[in-house]
Amino acid sequence: MWQRRAFLKAAGAGFAASLLPRRAAALDRAELVFASAIQRRQGGFAAALVTERGDLVSSVDLPDRGHDITYSPVTGKAVVFARQPGTFAVVFDARGGDLPVTLTSVPGRHFFGHGVFSPDGRLLYATENDFENARGVVGIFDATDGYRRIGEFDTYGTGPHEIILMPDNRTFAIANGGIETHPDYGRSELNIDTMDPSLAFVDSSDGRLIGQMRLSADLHQVSIRHMVVDYANRVWFGCQFRGPAEERPQLVGYATLDGEIRLIELSHDHLTSLDNYVGAIEVSADRAMIAVSSSTGNTILAIDADTTRPLGSTTMRSGSGLARDSKGFVATSGWGEMMGVAGSTAPHHQFDFNFDAHLRRVG
Amino acid sequence: MRLFLAAAFALATTPVLAQAPVTTGEVISAAIEDFIRPGFHELATSAASMKDGIAALCATPSEEHLSVGRDGFKAVVLAYSGVEFVHVGPLGSNNRIERMLFWPDRKGIALKQVQQALAAEDASATNPKDLAGKSVAMQGLGALEYLLFGTGAEELAGPDGAYRCSFAASIAALIGEVTAEMDAEWSDPQGISAALENPRPDANDYRTQTEVLEKLAASLVHGTEAIRDQRVLPILGTSAGQPKPKSALFWRSGMTVPALAANFSGLSDFFAKARFPEVMGADNAWIANGAEFEFANAKRALAVITSPMDEAVADPKQFKALEYLVIVTKSLDTLVGEDLSAALGLSVGFSALDGD
Repeated sequence: MWQRRAFLKAAGAGFAASLLPRRAAALDRAELVFASAIQRRQGGFAAALVTERGDLVSSVDLPDRGHDITYSPVTGKAVVFARQPGTFAVVFDARGGDLPVTLTSVPGRHFFGHGVFSPDGRLLYATENDFENARGVVGIFDATDGYRRIGEFDTYGTGPHEIILMPDNRTFAIANGGIETHPDYGRSELNIDTMDPSLAFVDSSDGRLIGQMRLSADLHQVSIRHMVVDYANRVWFGCQFRGPAEERPQLVGYATLDGEIRLIELSHDHLTSLDNYVGAIEVSADRAMIAVSSSTGNTILAIDADTTRPLGSTTMRSGSGLARDSKGFVATSGWGEMMGVAGSTAPHHQFDFNFDAHLRRVG
Repeated sequence: MRLFLAAAFALATTPVLAQAPVTTGEVISAAIEDFIRPGFHELATSAASMKDGIAALCATPSEEHLSVGRDGFKAVVLAYSGVEFVHVGPLGSNNRIERMLFWPDRKGIALKQVQQALAAEDASATNPKDLAGKSVAMQGLGALEYLLFGTGAEELAGPDGAYRCSFAASIAALIGEVTAEMDAEWSDPQGISAALENPRPDANDYRTQTEVLEKLAASLVHGTEAIRDQRVLPILGTSAGQPKPKSALFWRSGMTVPALAANFSGLSDFFAKARFPEVMGADNAWIANGAEFEFANAKRALAVITSPMDEAVADPKQFKALEYLVIVTKSLDTLVGEDLSAALGLSVGFSALDGD
């Protein structure tokens, strides 16, 4: 409930007044609010704020397809990043105050679709591609100065994807997917035979590499892409396999700041359902349960972080977006569905637009 | 009046055909029997003929034999371009995609390795068995094109080209082998066809007919995406604002545009022969009509590009035609990707398509 009150207090009269009556009513109820990049059925892309009961609160148009959204609870600002190899990111006020601001990547760089705010919301960090050198970088933007790009540091790998901040508020975990791309080749993957994915811990204060972990060499085509942190400070990650389709390597694992990295053992059946593709990963409110989704395998799988055993799976057509609520997870799909899974009692709802890969809780 | 009646009749016949009930199983069978099998058979046949042609060139070097060898290569390029999007099954396993064609090759790895072998007269490259164990970049159509059409290729018509010719013959033999394997695997009634036509819940690969239909439908959109991302965008060179004609696939043999045309016509044939327009039903005729419209647009745009690539990119009209292909492929992505999926109730939904 406290999240809800914080949201209402900050939303302000101006924002609520500008909403349609039904939507304003939605905000009066105690509901969680989520953000996701979407595709409109009639064409066009946007970022949308929706409630767990299925109300659309607001949306911001995007010039092209977006990917993930990051949010600062301190400032109420959310940023939606272009899907790679896109060059824009749109900052919007999740509380409805300020007008959206569009920032663009600098020449020679494009975004990878993910980023994170500093704990005080003053700096925004985004994974980027230095594509002439096939080098991953983190671009640093000053949120207090019009999102001016004030610097960058290395991700210590190629094709970085998600970046998250560890609970120490200082250390970044960065998933270097290992895949080389170049905008002159669209989304083509240029180094499948030599890809070298890794998970890097980087000091946010100076960009220093604290530690870097790789899976065994025979798993070099298992691309590490998305991460969450559990109650024991372990970084759980979901992978996508780029090797032969008939193989079914493990796709979910965890790493620690002490330098341990391992893949958990999922059964062949579970792996078949995941179709060599984990699109999103989320941790429960108590940080003891992990959920992974496969939009191509139409599956959402919940895992006990303690025992590393699956707790159950749900079929969801093109299901991908995952965000925790108090009891479980809210899941969204490429066909516009939203529903509660793994203990969540959020009702099933069908929207008239399609959700992209990620869902973020913003209130 | 007669004209009017004829037109009305012609219009009336289309929906009747479109209403013929087609099942998912029939789509799968039609895809295999009417498109995939004949396509891979033609590829194997043309590759066998190319192998013979290059062997004859090596045995008796001459201008005439060189020209036969080159024509054989062009025929294989066309046959392969027509089916290369069918990653389901044999082509998608055993690194065959890369062994057939190492592409995209942004750093020119194939060229470097082939030139090194030529300079050193590396004997192992002339033996198909040894070559199969070397870099895939040296084994496929890209490497073979350089040997047949690249700098120094004219020496193939005489005795000085002996090493170069035996390297080319070795590649042709490997391509012959790989394409024959794929042809045999597709023809085997107990093999991949059975797995696709009779999916089982306990199967390792294909568990339901819907899943098979999804994979077949996804080939279409992966095909249009590959045309754009791997064939057209590299030529446009947008990131540096400078066209890169030498980033075109098959520019040395002048096969860039014919290969693109075969890519599009392969996709268009597959779409029709697998009976996608029928299975979507009359209500969704707009999707099939839209796809046909865009395939025709692609054909028209390609007909405009008549010069060698380095000249074509310098001519605003031809360059615009290349740029237009980007728009056409994006429109096709939507039609044969999302719209077709929605019409068939497939899960190849928005977030499942080329996710991150």
